[in-house]
Amino acid sequence: MKRIVTIAILAIAAASSAAFAQDVPKIIAELDRQSDFTGKDFAAVYTIVSQKPGEKDSVTQVRMFRRDDKEQFAMLVVLPEVNKGQGYLREDDNVWFYDPTSRKFSFSSIKENIQNSEAKNSDLTKKSILDDYDIIGTKDGAVGKIPVWVIDLKAKTKDVTYERIVLYVRKDRTMLLKQEDFSVSGRLMRTSLYPKYAEIEGRLMPSQMLIVDELNPGERSQLTMTEQSLAPLPDKVFTKAFLEQVNK
Amino acid sequence: MNTIANIALRNLSRQKKRTILLGSAIAFGVMIVTLINGFAGAFSANVAENFSDLMAGHVFISGTEKGAKDKDVSVIRDDTALTAAVKASGAPVKYVTRRSAFSGTLIFEGKKIRTNVDGANLDEETFLRDRLLLKEGSWDAMEDRGALILSEKIARKLNADVGDTILVQMQTVTGQSNVGEFRLAGISFDAGIFGQMMSYANLSYVNELIGLAPDEYQTMGIMLDGLKRTESAAASIYAGLSGDVQLFERGVKDEKGAETPFQALMRQQSKETWDGVKYRLFTINEILSQIKQIVAALDTAAAIILVVLFIIIMVGISNTFSIVMFERIGEIGTMRALGVQRGGVRSMFLYEAVFLALGGAIAGIIVALVAMGIISLFDFGMENPAFIIMKNGHLSFYLPPLRAAGNVVVIALLTLVAVASPAGKAAKLTPAEALRTQK
Repeated sequence: MKRIVTIAILAIAAASSAAFAQDVPKIIAELDRQSDFTGKDFAAVYTIVSQKPGEKDSVTQVRMFRRDDKEQFAMLVVLPEVNKGQGYLREDDNVWFYDPTSRKFSFSSIKENIQNSEAKNSDLTKKSILDDYDIIGTKDGAVGKIPVWVIDLKAKTKDVTYERIVLYVRKDRTMLLKQEDFSVSGRLMRTSLYPKYAEIEGRLMPSQMLIVDELNPGERSQLTMTEQSLAPLPDKVFTKAFLEQVNK
Repeated sequence: MNTIANIALRNLSRQKKRTILLGSAIAFGVMIVTLINGFAGAFSANVAENFSDLMAGHVFISGTEKGAKDKDVSVIRDDTALTAAVKASGAPVKYVTRRSAFSGTLIFEGKKIRTNVDGANLDEETFLRDRLLLKEGSWDAMEDRGALILSEKIARKLNADVGDTILVQMQTVTGQSNVGEFRLAGISFDAGIFGQMMSYANLSYVNELIGLAPDEYQTMGIMLDGLKRTESAAASIYAGLSGDVQLFERGVKDEKGAETPFQALMRQQSKETWDGVKYRLFTINEILSQIKQIVAALDTAAAIILVVLFIIIMVGISNTFSIVMFERIGEIGTMRALGVQRGGVRSMFLYEAVFLALGGAIAGIIVALVAMGIISLFDFGMENPAFIIMKNGHLSFYLPPLRAAGNVVVIALLTLVAVASPAGKAAKLTPAEALRTQK
């Protein structure tokens, strides 16, 4: 009798594990969908508080404008006052950085950090995890007391910033709670935590993020999203002229 | 005419003290200007030679492949055609280097600094051991695959000692984030602002960190027997490569004309698209073309100093010759009474000025050459932060002969201008007027 019960339990566990494995791509697709505002324009203000050992906390505030249909974004630096007017513009695969002091654009990248923080430009844009990564492992886990799926992903190409990422996705609702990013050599480089979310037209967007630099102990950035909006934006927002004009 | 010149010479020798003082003023000005010219003359060549040592080559070939989304990947996968072209060129090649490099952040116990790390095949680049003097550690420790040599300044900023393990964060050639671990094997003498160009690691480990295969690399450096044949060697190698491999056009200029040829070449690279690896050939002169601007600035400064110094000296010469004319007014009257024409009197003063200028200028150049010789004897050592402008640790000078001759001509002309007015006044005196003037 005991043997039958054991076999039954193992069979159920195997079946549920197989079912979960089949569901993983759906979970990731849902995470991608939540960050995708195709068909709409998205705008928000992000406040980034960065901590570095031996330095005073620095506050950076940026106003982000996104048009995911064309993979465009424009980002204006509002704070600190000394960097006010600086901006980033994404056109196709190019990211330009505008410096109002020199009135010149220089080449940047989606992989570059925003100002002096731990956040990268790509942290505030549309995700495409399913396109960029293969699933190499899944298991049960917990973030605090919350049960999560731990999904291990490996880059499909050599073009994504991190060769391997591990996602901690809440079981009861598709919500990313934690993400670990690994280098090509397999070293943990940074951990991102997503403690708070805001719902925008059926999509869950992290309204608070904590990004911890695992290579430089004590360095971390906390991002808070406010003033999010899906109102249409003028085309001129996604032009170099816009970044120049706002400084006049 | 000879008589007038002889009288002019005799006049100069009659007033030895005055002549020596005026000549010394001219000589001092010429000496300063000659020293600046001599320094500027050697500056360009010294910087280029030292950079050639740092970058391990006078002529360079790098490869670029178009990766996903048209992104440039810097890599040379197969150098058979390159090696053959270098051999066939007949260029005076001392050695060929193969290097990969990255710009990354070194992290050690809470401190971090951004620097360039060159991956070199240290078994082949044995000359690097002679070129890069270590203050601490040893080259033997570089046998460890993850070994690293840093300049003193970088090591001090990280507070790292030989034997410490240093984390490094960089991007692969395709832009992926990567982290590696180096062990500090040696600390080289402080190289000033060039310290960030003097971090060396093993090629195989650098390749692994940036995502290249062990037998691949990014730049081939061709070290010649000297700087002089750089351009001709580059042209021969380029001609040898044409037709065998895809090549970027050399000597392209940006339409704005504001870029260096090297920057224009880089711009051309980002605009084009191609399959496979395309190579660009460039020389140390193209990389350092902005050095020529520094040399031009130094020469301009020397010219300005020359003019300012001589305006001051001219005023002195002009005043002195006015006094001389007054002192010799009786003598001028006697000469005129004996039949010397106005032109002869004017010529006498002008000859004196020319002899004074030539004597002063030649003395100035001789003193400057002696000073250059003495200064160049001092060995400041290759560990000196200013080593980049020196030749093997010595300050060196090169005075272009035409520039020296030009300086002499300018000084002679300025002195003639200064004396023109008193000479003219002397020439205008009538014999009777000159003879009755009381001194």
